[in-house]
Amino acid sequence: MNKKYAMAYVVDRCIDCKACMVACKAEWEVPEDHFRTHIDQGMKEDFHGKTRMDFLPSQCNHCDDAPCVTVCPTKASHKRDDGIVYVNRNRCVGCKYCIPSCPYEARFFNHDLGVAEKCTFCLPRLAEGLEPACATTCPGNVRVFGDINDPTSEISMVLREAKNNRLKIYKLREDLGTKPNIYYIQN
Amino acid sequence: MIHQEAFEWYIAVYLFLAGVGAGSMVVAAVADMYDREKYISFIKAASFIGMPLVSLGIFFLYIDLGQGMWKPWLLIFLFVNPTSAIAWGTGILTIFTILSGIYAAHNLGYIKVGCKRCLCWALIVTGICTAGYTAVLLGVLKAIPFWHQTSLPILFIISATSTGISGAMIVKMTILKSDANIKPIETAHLYLLVLEIIALIGIVLIALQGVPEMQYSIKQLLVGDSAFAFWVFLVLAGLIIPAIAFGMHEAGKLHLNVKSVVALEALVLVGGYFLRHLIIHAGVYTQKFTEYIVR
Repeated sequence: MNKKYAMAYVVDRCIDCKACMVACKAEWEVPEDHFRTHIDQGMKEDFHGKTRMDFLPSQCNHCDDAPCVTVCPTKASHKRDDGIVYVNRNRCVGCKYCIPSCPYEARFFNHDLGVAEKCTFCLPRLAEGLEPACATTCPGNVRVFGDINDPTSEISMVLREAKNNRLKIYKLREDLGTKPNIYYIQN
Repeated sequence: MIHQEAFEWYIAVYLFLAGVGAGSMVVAAVADMYDREKYISFIKAASFIGMPLVSLGIFFLYIDLGQGMWKPWLLIFLFVNPTSAIAWGTGILTIFTILSGIYAAHNLGYIKVGCKRCLCWALIVTGICTAGYTAVLLGVLKAIPFWHQTSLPILFIISATSTGISGAMIVKMTILKSDANIKPIETAHLYLLVLEIIALIGIVLIALQGVPEMQYSIKQLLVGDSAFAFWVFLVLAGLIIPAIAFGMHEAGKLHLNVKSVVALEALVLVGGYFLRHLIIHAGVYTQKFTEYIVR
């Protein structure tokens, strides 16, 4: 079976230190005014009426049915066999159409290079046998990366354990039919 | 709510110019098939602006490109993905630009076309597709709920036809200095303006009852940061004033001289541009963390 890379966030571990954002920016020389990954803050009331704040990481969801791939006129944005949605910079004309197509606001325009840009799960690092920079750097082990098709991978084990412990496991906006590959695990 | 920032005024200009060019050619082709002799001044005026405005619009799209602008050979890839609205648009615009160029050359006496009726039908079909495509381009993006509605192509096609008539009328009256009577086109223009007002009211009412992102977008236009441009440039100048003036003129209660007609047609063009500009700028992303939405 092909590899299928995915990432899980154990959300309750996130302390909003933003080390993941900095690691990514440093690794890939991301333009000054943009990030490939973000930490949002979500506020809601719990069952007892008490306000609860969650720190919510986000990045490209490497969707199986990615809108950016559908709308890219040049096929610069494409889905690789290993599950990564990748932008071929040599083919991207910089029409920016993929940017508003993404419901996860994961893409931005790199004005220096004239191309659309986003998270690649650190593809060059994977080739060297390393994990993505954000997952390596995260001090709270929020980000768990791996091959979801391999039952012995860390991500498969974390998701299985979360399911056994009846934790809440969800993905973002599955109602849009994008089939995202980032899992959120929360108590 | 997070505003989309990828599409800016360049794209609004592109959508507007493509609409004016396509609209003028569609009306000219229809008029041509109806009574060429009677509408020849309008047909010639439309021929002056049809292809040049669409080409100028494409130029604005081109200068908005990133890498494609300095590596133009990459543009050949714009055709390769059949699921992309930009690929559809590239095909439609290419065909329409060629056809409108041939039609303009025929009308201005440079060439003679064999089956002009076939050409007119092809222009009507590709012209409507061009005008509609400018909205479909936005409408297929489900990440921006305000754009993702079927009423948008209808509104854009009506607006393109209306602004197309305005553009051609201005050329007819200022450059060609023709005072030929083309009353049916003037009447059609009035009806188009009324239809556009109704379509716009429909979009407003639907968006006000829509998902939170749509409500946010429409409130930006009605009472938010874009309210002045929406009410003054689009609603008042672009739709209400021309509709009232043309309506009174139609009813014989107001005489419009050449200067006033040109000024009113220019107002319609201003409204046409702001329609696209405001819709683009009101686009906000759908919320990804739906559990945390605070209205």
